Amino acid sequence: MRNVIARAIDVKRQYKLGKETVWALKGISLDIYEGEYLSIMGPSGSGKSTFFNMIGALDIPSSGTIEFMGADLFALPEEKQAWVRCNKIGYIFQTYNLVTVMTALENVTLPMVLKGASKKACDARAAEVLDQVGLGHRLHHLPGQLSGGQQQRVAIARALVNAPSVILADEPTGNLDKATGAEIIDLLKRLQVEHNATIVTATHDVKMLAISDRIAWIRDGKLDRLEERKDVKFTKE
Amino acid sequence: MEQIGKQVKLPLGRALQIAVQGIRIRFGRSLVTVSGVVLGVAFFMSNVTSQLIKQAIADEREQRQTLNLMLTLMKSEIGDLSGKTVALATFGETTVSERDLLAVLRKTPGLTLGAPEALGGKAHLLLVLGAGPATASPDILTAGMAQPVLLDSLAERAYPSAKPGSSLAQVRRELFFGRESEEQADKLKTQAEQATFRTLWIGIISILVTIIGIANALLMSVTERFREIGTMKCLGAMSAFIRKLFLIESAMLGFAGAVIGTALGTLLSFAGYGLTFGFGLITAALNVGGLLVAAAACIAGGTVLSMLAAIYPANFAARMVPASALRTNV
Repeated sequence: MRNVIARAIDVKRQYKLGKETVWALKGISLDIYEGEYLSIMGPSGSGKSTFFNMIGALDIPSSGTIEFMGADLFALPEEKQAWVRCNKIGYIFQTYNLVTVMTALENVTLPMVLKGASKKACDARAAEVLDQVGLGHRLHHLPGQLSGGQQQRVAIARALVNAPSVILADEPTGNLDKATGAEIIDLLKRLQVEHNATIVTATHDVKMLAISDRIAWIRDGKLDRLEERKDVKFTKE
Repeated sequence: MEQIGKQVKLPLGRALQIAVQGIRIRFGRSLVTVSGVVLGVAFFMSNVTSQLIKQAIADEREQRQTLNLMLTLMKSEIGDLSGKTVALATFGETTVSERDLLAVLRKTPGLTLGAPEALGGKAHLLLVLGAGPATASPDILTAGMAQPVLLDSLAERAYPSAKPGSSLAQVRRELFFGRESEEQADKLKTQAEQATFRTLWIGIISILVTIIGIANALLMSVTERFREIGTMKCLGAMSAFIRKLFLIESAMLGFAGAVIGTALGTLLSFAGYGLTFGFGLITAALNVGGLLVAAAACIAGGTVLSMLAAIYPANFAARMVPASALRTNV
């Protein structure tokens, strides 16, 4: 039996647009297993990014909740939520969200700085992780001096630096060209295998399907289908 | 199964370190923020300094005028001062003008100045200065003078009555200053009221300009970093830490800006008035205490204002749901 690391329980989220209430999520329940590669697929506006934010405790559901490591994520006090974000979850975003005035190394050390590690330990570990993602020669470059693919690698290194159990990647290849996107996908897959990390990606890049263990199809704020990869028929989409 | 831990609270020293590093790596942007504070504070401080200098010039001019008036009166009584002997009686506190007068008299070549009893009646003129009541009657003070003339700085000074057997009628008493007419007094009062109103008005405007300038500089420097704050929260920063970081940063930037602005405002004001009226005139009667109080108030006010202007958006961003902070585009 596989361990459940995170569990979504009837997660709903509504937004108020003027006087109208829009339901971005209409109730999604989903278990995420330790060590799996889960892709959340769906067209733009389907609610997949909203759902993704919920798993990472970046947004608060209108009703329902996320259980993380057996605890109700949204009932946790701030210092425990921060601990989870810092130590257990690594975030990767479509827009990288690097701090533009910090070098690659400084960006990667941030999660370690926030948990109080010494500068020496931070720098050593960050250099090691940057080397793992193939940027050992770009430690002191600013994000602006790096290509999109390289910036995303810095973001991946930052997500990895505290050795989290879950890596959440929101459209990690969305801003990249095909070849660079493929490299990032390979890198994520390698991380899953080498670090036994749980990887959850929100994407509409079909190339992600080939390396996923499971695919959750979200449509119109609901979980449409949940498939194992072996059941997915690869048709020309 | 592993338990969920608590995020460590970073000590103040570490926060300070991170804030300083933040200012260093954002040095250019920090300079822009600081110059916003500098402009605001300098504007206010130069206005305050200008008011103080204007007051000093007016005071100094009035004193010089008073001094000239007194010298002229003395000369009209006894002619050229050199070679003359003047008796001096002082009762109570002397005014600045009286002290100036004495200083000039002491420097006048050939003029002898001394107490009435020491001069033994050789004096050409008796000066009575000070704000207190006289302790000797005019006839005693002028005893032995060939033409007893008494020049008094106070019209309402009380004198003891004459010594029995002598007469006050022989003593001529003249005043340095006649009484101001009521019409003149009213005019002066109106002028003073207008000046106070103008000063107050300029003060209010400059405070407003300063507040808006500083608030704008700091508000911008924080709001443009909402995404960064969102990112920091994703990476495990707590709201209190983010608040602390911005509080330290804004205090440092605000303090630097306020110090530079205060110095700049004061210097510019001094340079402007000094070159126009001469540095001697503007510094002679300057209210240095008032200037120091204003400078201290400017530095403290600029710093506190910067912190207030930064802490509101920082607090707002720190409490935001990370997803919303990340979505912001400034």
